[in-house]
Amino acid sequence: MSFLEARGVSKNYGGVRALKDVTFTAYRGKVNVLVGENGAGKSTLMKILSGSEQPSSGEIVLDGEPVVLGSPRAAQALGIGIIHQELSLFPNLSIAENMFAGRELRRAGRFVDAAAQKRRTREVLGRLGQDRLDPDTLVGDLPIGQQQLVEIGRALLEDVRVLIMDEPTSALSNHEVDVLFEVMADLRSQDVTVIYISHKLDEFRRIGDWVTVFRDGALVAHESMDKTDTGWIVRQMVGRDPDSLYVRNSSPVGEILLDVRGLRVPGTVRVDDVSLTVRAGEVVGIYGLMGAGRTELMETLMGMRKAAAGEVKIKGRLEGYGTVQARMAAGLALVPEDRQRDGLVQTMSVRDNILLATVARFTRAGLLSGGAEQRTAEAKVRELAIRMPGLAATVTALSGGNQQKVVLARALLTEPVVLLLDEPTRGIDVGAKAQIAALMAELAARGFGVLFISSELAEVIAMADRVLVMARGRITAEFTAQNVTEEALVTASASDSVLEATP
Amino acid sequence: MLKKILVVAAATSLLALSACGDDSSSGTSSGSGSAPAASKLIVIITPSPDNVFFKAEQDAAAAQAKKLGYETLVLSHDDDPTKQSQEIDTAISRKAAAIILDNAGADASVTAIQRAKDASIPTFLIDREINKTGVAVAQIVSNNAQGAGLGGTEFAKLMGNKGEYAELTGKPTDTNAGVRSQGYHGVLDQYPDLKMVAQQSANWDQAEALQKTQTILQAHPNIKGIIAGNDTMALGAWAAVQAAKKDIIVTGFDGSPDVVASILKNGIKATVLQPASKISEMAVDQADAYIKAGGKTDQPEKQSVDCVLVNPDNAKSVSNFAVAS
Amino acid sequence: MTDTHVAAPRKTAGAPEPDAPRNQALARAALLLLRGRTLVVLVILILIFSAISSEYLTQSNLILMTKHVAINAILAIGVTFVILTGGIDLSVGSIAGLASMVAGGLLFKGLNMPGGTVFFSVAVVIVLGIAVGALVGALNGVLITRFKVAPFIATLGMLYVARGLAQLHSNGGTYPDLAGSAARGNEGFHFIGVDSLLGIPVAVWIMVLVAVAAIVVTTKTPFGRRIFAVGGNERAAVLSGIRVNRVKIAVYVISGACAALAGLLLTSELGAAYPDTATTYELNAIAAAVLGGTALAGGRGTIIGTVMGAFVIGFLSDGLVLVGVSTFWQSVVKGAVIVFAVITEQAQQRLQSGLTKRTA
Repeated sequence: MSFLEARGVSKNYGGVRALKDVTFTAYRGKVNVLVGENGAGKSTLMKILSGSEQPSSGEIVLDGEPVVLGSPRAAQALGIGIIHQELSLFPNLSIAENMFAGRELRRAGRFVDAAAQKRRTREVLGRLGQDRLDPDTLVGDLPIGQQQLVEIGRALLEDVRVLIMDEPTSALSNHEVDVLFEVMADLRSQDVTVIYISHKLDEFRRIGDWVTVFRDGALVAHESMDKTDTGWIVRQMVGRDPDSLYVRNSSPVGEILLDVRGLRVPGTVRVDDVSLTVRAGEVVGIYGLMGAGRTELMETLMGMRKAAAGEVKIKGRLEGYGTVQARMAAGLALVPEDRQRDGLVQTMSVRDNILLATVARFTRAGLLSGGAEQRTAEAKVRELAIRMPGLAATVTALSGGNQQKVVLARALLTEPVVLLLDEPTRGIDVGAKAQIAALMAELAARGFGVLFISSELAEVIAMADRVLVMARGRITAEFTAQNVTEEALVTASASDSVLEATP
Repeated sequence: MLKKILVVAAATSLLALSACGDDSSSGTSSGSGSAPAASKLIVIITPSPDNVFFKAEQDAAAAQAKKLGYETLVLSHDDDPTKQSQEIDTAISRKAAAIILDNAGADASVTAIQRAKDASIPTFLIDREINKTGVAVAQIVSNNAQGAGLGGTEFAKLMGNKGEYAELTGKPTDTNAGVRSQGYHGVLDQYPDLKMVAQQSANWDQAEALQKTQTILQAHPNIKGIIAGNDTMALGAWAAVQAAKKDIIVTGFDGSPDVVASILKNGIKATVLQPASKISEMAVDQADAYIKAGGKTDQPEKQSVDCVLVNPDNAKSVSNFAVAS
Repeated sequence: MTDTHVAAPRKTAGAPEPDAPRNQALARAALLLLRGRTLVVLVILILIFSAISSEYLTQSNLILMTKHVAINAILAIGVTFVILTGGIDLSVGSIAGLASMVAGGLLFKGLNMPGGTVFFSVAVVIVLGIAVGALVGALNGVLITRFKVAPFIATLGMLYVARGLAQLHSNGGTYPDLAGSAARGNEGFHFIGVDSLLGIPVAVWIMVLVAVAAIVVTTKTPFGRRIFAVGGNERAAVLSGIRVNRVKIAVYVISGACAALAGLLLTSELGAAYPDTATTYELNAIAAAVLGGTALAGGRGTIIGTVMGAFVIGFLSDGLVLVGVSTFWQSVVKGAVIVFAVITEQAQQRLQSGLTKRTA
């Protein structure tokens, strides 16, 4: 039964139409999944449904009654809560203080009633299956998954009838996703209407009841989940067949380019006696859960962390300095996991970002040569098909996928022999994912070695010639493209007993 | 490791370079580490000895106290009443026999001095007054009004009683800045042909006086004289006058060695000497008498000591804020 | 990245509203005005003051004011390098004071060496003075990079240390006469602060040289690009193979050297070195950088903007003195202008990001 409806809603920003006459229905007590590429209009619709934006035309109907959602407060008062993609918590405050931030319970009209807040917090945490969490714990001390649950708890404090979740799992581990899905199933049974935005095809199929697909600001499909399959959804999203999504590398394999022996890195997330090789023309994937030490391994290879033991040979030559400069000179380049934090200089232009690592090459008598810079950057932009307003535009004006290509372009300019990519497709839309995958295959064909991390089973299976599985800092299993299965990967990534299985 | 050694070496060489040519000791405290007997410590608190005037004040007081057999603790409050208050607390906790104080503010200092009095420690104020009587035992100041009268009279004479002039005043929150300016004008305003065309505060600061004088000279090219509220500002003004290659009369106030030297070289024309050393010695003598008499004094609280005009006629006999008689 | 922001660039084909082009043109004009706001403020100041006083817009006063600007501009250029990397240098005023005392002491008293007192020529004294500033800057840099002290704290500490060393140098006293003598071979210190070349004060020429060098370094060299990268995103800079610590130490050295140079100019002009030279000048320098559009968060700013900022502060201060405004009002007006400038900076950022999104 329809509970929350958007009827003929359009939204214009300046001269641009972000939503075109959309009629969307969310059903009561169901999980309603919204999918679409970045820029398809999902988030705009959610902003309208949660009161932070007003539609240019059209109306909102809640439980059969037309309503005006003039502000987030107004939407909350009607029982519509939203959980944003980026957490809006205060890491320096406790769970209870976060739950009631801005709407503290009062005693004698003036003082914060901390005891009552803790009581209510405990109730809500219980409802989320987190009875053991102490309301006094600082949010900053919690793992990201539990922080997400605190965020949900905040929405549940109000008498929420509709809960909108905007990509809540993008930072979660598989286990944390399971907990979240249990909570969602629970909410569903309590007759809460859940609207769930996600990029992760394999995930939302497990929990969703209805699926709605957006493309280019319009609603293109709306179907009961059990009548769909992954292929159908991808076709609706990109408007073409999903078989072309991932390009498998099939180039012949050559000499060993990267040879790592007995690498150890101490720390809370450690790397423990890792040995691996990457050959020319080979695409090697590393699968594992969050905290398995994959990013730490990559950062150590790149010289951003100091190894306690072990050796790294690049093209047969031992690289012993272990600094970023030395590793870069030896032929490694890293495309980091978190573009915003580690990859882009947000204050710089597209051009300057592309050239950042190699800028010293474009000098004449010590001074930068604008012409050489421009030509080099233009060539890379063409090669990687980066879509942008111009080389001089700030890099933040680009979409996620194109930003990723900027970071990739910078890495390629250092003329690496082995390219390290940490979650290269995270947070970018399906179309861009396919392009990145194709690029990786093409690089391998040109004789590069490619080592990449992925948390998505389908992706790692489709793209890698060889898959290494990491757990607790160790490599626990190795598969070839021929013998890899989803089950085997999951088992190897979760189990401690396979430690001895390392070849 | 090598880097750490480099850091230490750099710091050391820096200190060495910064101390080059400096052979005087830098310690200001001659009091011992442990608290001495109650009756033998005199605490001397003045503004920053950056200014030679306060340096002379400190030195004279400390020398006189030592001559009379006291230990001394010399502190500087940098014209910050809060810091001064903390230093008076130090004096109280060390059970000082007396405090010699050139205070940091006519009103802001009263409470701290009262606190010392409540702890039975007598305070003898030098150089600057406070706006309350009965708190300090003595307030011995140079007669700024009288001195400014002398300075104003000399300036008018140098100007030939006519022409345009500018005035550089001190820090506006400082009582003496106002007293001196009024003293000058008490004389200068009697001459209708003497016309003040600009009046700016240079906050007692030499560089600020330089820049402001340059700007003033720009606005008023016909200026014949500049009268400054103290000697550092007079020096700054004189540097501006020299740079502008103009013939302008500059006078100051304080009697600092640098200005006295300038007078001897026919640069700055005159200054008014405050007998800083004499005042310090008077204060220590009276403190000594007060302590020996068991807390009695035969002097009035407010005492003023006359200033002396310094010009080319007597500049030779001036040294360290005292005129040899 | 939210959907709308990415959605917009793809929708340029969608029908724009009829009045959009005119709005955009207006927005562009406003943006142009805001980008050049320091210049606009400067022009407004000049108009106001020359309306009040006929002496303001004379050649000799413009030269004098520019000379006054020179000292703050040189300090501010150095500080801009630091701010571009996301740091801050509060010690520049004290470094100027220390360099002033070191140079003053060398000229006035010479250097006590085992073999007797040695006097250096003016050129050597200037080099040594600047070297002291660079050394203190290097110490700042090492504290910040090796010992991980926050720049605000490290340079705040250095503010006191350097000022204390300046006072220790003469035991609080002033070096009153820096003219030197032919016998000692150290005459001519007044050249940099007092003399003129081609009718323009040497100090102004020095400012121009420093500014041009700084513009070239920041915009035309790999080192300059790295400064912006470190300030824009330090982690990304590390991953791009930039030796971040070296860049940081270098900018503090530059800042220290610029501060020392400014201190020497001030001392030369004054003809005397005293330990309180340039007290609180660091605030004027930071204000000039911020006025000129340098973002305190790092990664954004220009040298020319900073120089313009120094001109606004200097022309404003001198103008207020020229027309005889009291000290108290001078402070109020200066503070108000700085805050106003930062407000317009915010407006510029908003408008700029709005425009890129729409026209992308």
